[in-house]
Amino acid sequence: MRRGNRPGGVARGIALAALGVLLGATAACGSDGGSSSGSNVTIRFDWWGNPDRAEVTERAIDLFEQKNPTIKVETSYAEFNAYFQKLTTQIAGGGAPDVLQMDYRYVREYADRGVLSELDSGPSQVDTAGVTQQLLSGGTINGKLYGIPPTQNTQVFSYDFAQWEKSGAAAPKDGWTWTDLKTAAQKVSDSTSGAVRGLGDFGGIEDWFEVWLRQQGKQLYTPDGKLGYTAAEVAQWWQMTDGMRRSGASTPAELTTKMDGSQANDPVAQKKASAGFGYDSGFTAKSWEILGREFKLAAFPTDTGKIGQYAKPAMMFSVSKRSEHKPEAAKLINFLINDADAGKILGMSRGLPANAQIREQVGGTLSGPPAVGFQFEQQVAAKLEPAPPPPPKGAGTVKSTFQRVYDDVIFERSTIAQAADKFIAEAQKAIST
Amino acid sequence: MAVQVLGSRDVVRASRERQRRRYGERPGIAYLFLSPWVLGALLLTVGPMLGSLYLSFTDYDLFTTPEWVGLENYRNLFTDDSRFVAAVWVTVRYVLISTPLKLVAALAVALLLNRASRAQGFYRSAFYAPSLLGASVAVALVWRVIFGDLVSSPRYALLVIVALAVWQFGAPMVIFLAGLEQIPQELYDASAVDGAGWWRTLRSVTLPMLSPVIFFNLVLETIHAFQAFTGAFVISSGRGGPIDSTLFYTLYLYQKGFNEFRMGYASAMAWVLVLVVAAITAVLFRTARMWVFYAGEDR
Repeated sequence: MRRGNRPGGVARGIALAALGVLLGATAACGSDGGSSSGSNVTIRFDWWGNPDRAEVTERAIDLFEQKNPTIKVETSYAEFNAYFQKLTTQIAGGGAPDVLQMDYRYVREYADRGVLSELDSGPSQVDTAGVTQQLLSGGTINGKLYGIPPTQNTQVFSYDFAQWEKSGAAAPKDGWTWTDLKTAAQKVSDSTSGAVRGLGDFGGIEDWFEVWLRQQGKQLYTPDGKLGYTAAEVAQWWQMTDGMRRSGASTPAELTTKMDGSQANDPVAQKKASAGFGYDSGFTAKSWEILGREFKLAAFPTDTGKIGQYAKPAMMFSVSKRSEHKPEAAKLINFLINDADAGKILGMSRGLPANAQIREQVGGTLSGPPAVGFQFEQQVAAKLEPAPPPPPKGAGTVKSTFQRVYDDVIFERSTIAQAADKFIAEAQKAIST
Repeated sequence: MAVQVLGSRDVVRASRERQRRRYGERPGIAYLFLSPWVLGALLLTVGPMLGSLYLSFTDYDLFTTPEWVGLENYRNLFTDDSRFVAAVWVTVRYVLISTPLKLVAALAVALLLNRASRAQGFYRSAFYAPSLLGASVAVALVWRVIFGDLVSSPRYALLVIVALAVWQFGAPMVIFLAGLEQIPQELYDASAVDGAGWWRTLRSVTLPMLSPVIFFNLVLETIHAFQAFTGAFVISSGRGGPIDSTLFYTLYLYQKGFNEFRMGYASAMAWVLVLVVAAITAVLFRTARMWVFYAGEDR
């Protein structure tokens, strides 16, 4: 009977419309007041870094939330190793963050396993016009963009110049050699009777081995993802670094083995060594306070005239493939990379901004350690080579294997030649499985 | 009248009979009350275990679909992995050193605390405290700082982790204390009358009477020791170094699964561990017949 009742239908329509308006109004209220309601979206952004970086990142996020009142961002951060351990577990459990900080060394690993979303097309597309193609290629796998570098950095040698002067060690200059490095480091160790070593033993860190390899025209990985060197090069490198340990120029095995990338276990931060290799993006606003003294930066020593360093994507931002809020995630990345105000807040906290305009703008406002990092980048810019393509799957394991097997050398458990062979065998296995 | 004739046993039987008539046989009730545990065991233990059994026969990288590879993981474990062998030796050494030390420490302290005194409660809590804290990451971190130099020596690093484990003797200690209180005072009185000294009493009364509890603690602590992870993970920053000297079995398993994305392989490792621990427990039960004395048994 009622089916044909027109007035009733109209009334119902009006009621629905009214309800719609009402809902719309509450939604609007919600976004104005910042409280949660239907149209609001919460995304998660995880990254690695230190408290310095955390402070500016939080401020940038606040600004993003102000400019995008319907998007709420939850953040969390950890130190590099802990970050990746947690990330793997989260992704495997289906709880990956929407926006995540990705490393150049791992981007292929994660992209190949179908964990990351494309950033050059689809819902998570980001405007990358301001970023140089060279940096973008670091996040490009099989022609698709999976990670956008917000910043670039490069390898750097840093030294406690006051200590070096006191010890009579010659400061690094253009074209200095590995022998110069050893001589200077030895002076520091000798003048302090070994209390402060010239160098933290860097022989187990694949990153610095890579620079040395590139100085000789070789590379870590060939373009088709094979090892670009042999046991002979590894042995030669370890021969050099182990020589520094034996002569006392660098740290003893007990200190070296603890190096895990954290500040707490870094001999330079503990004032047990006066110099070491690193990335220039590591120098953030409070670095001198944390390290307890000031440092100067220099290019790597070289025996070939080539410095071997390259403009490396300091990190990347990626979007999880399973994210339910890809457009919002992309919006956040876009903001962090391209927004002038965000650039002002973030400064050099993640390295040299990849966006040329922001880079220029940031350059004029810096002081303290970031200014030192910025000057260094300007100084070596002309000599930096383009970054190699992202390393193959298993590269992370190769890096940790490199350090682990170097322990055999410094604890003198095997000869250098044996250790080098063992490393190559394990590395081959890691990238082939 | 009739009631007086009935013995007390009959009264009990009669009352049970009455209850049964009133409430009826309802075994369902028992299962209802059991259900949270049964469900928990099925969903949280048996299910995941079967899942990992399946994964152990696959190549699984955590993110993409597992691929069936049959026995390959197991074959590689035993024939093509020198770090696996290293991890087994580290773990076996750890179990053999830490378990007896921990049990001796727990028993010694339990013997000291097993006398009537007002401060007893305080001491018991004080000695138990490390076990409550010990499994935590914070204590392992403190341990790493205190033993900083030993931790980075391949010779002593494992011993630092052993010391950390032994220090947490609280749980077996409490069980020992409960066991000690169960030993009838008459036995001690009798041995005193016979002129037995402290040592003789310990050997002839305390230890035999306590043997079921010792056995229980031995089995439990052995299983725990095989599963040790936290101490090694925190103290070596998750790397098992220096030179794999603290590469515990579970730590290596974790590295394979979560650092190298080889979860199939890690699952195979987990199952090998389960089988080995089961075998060792069975062996312990076999030997128990020779030295564990249950009261009421004829010897």
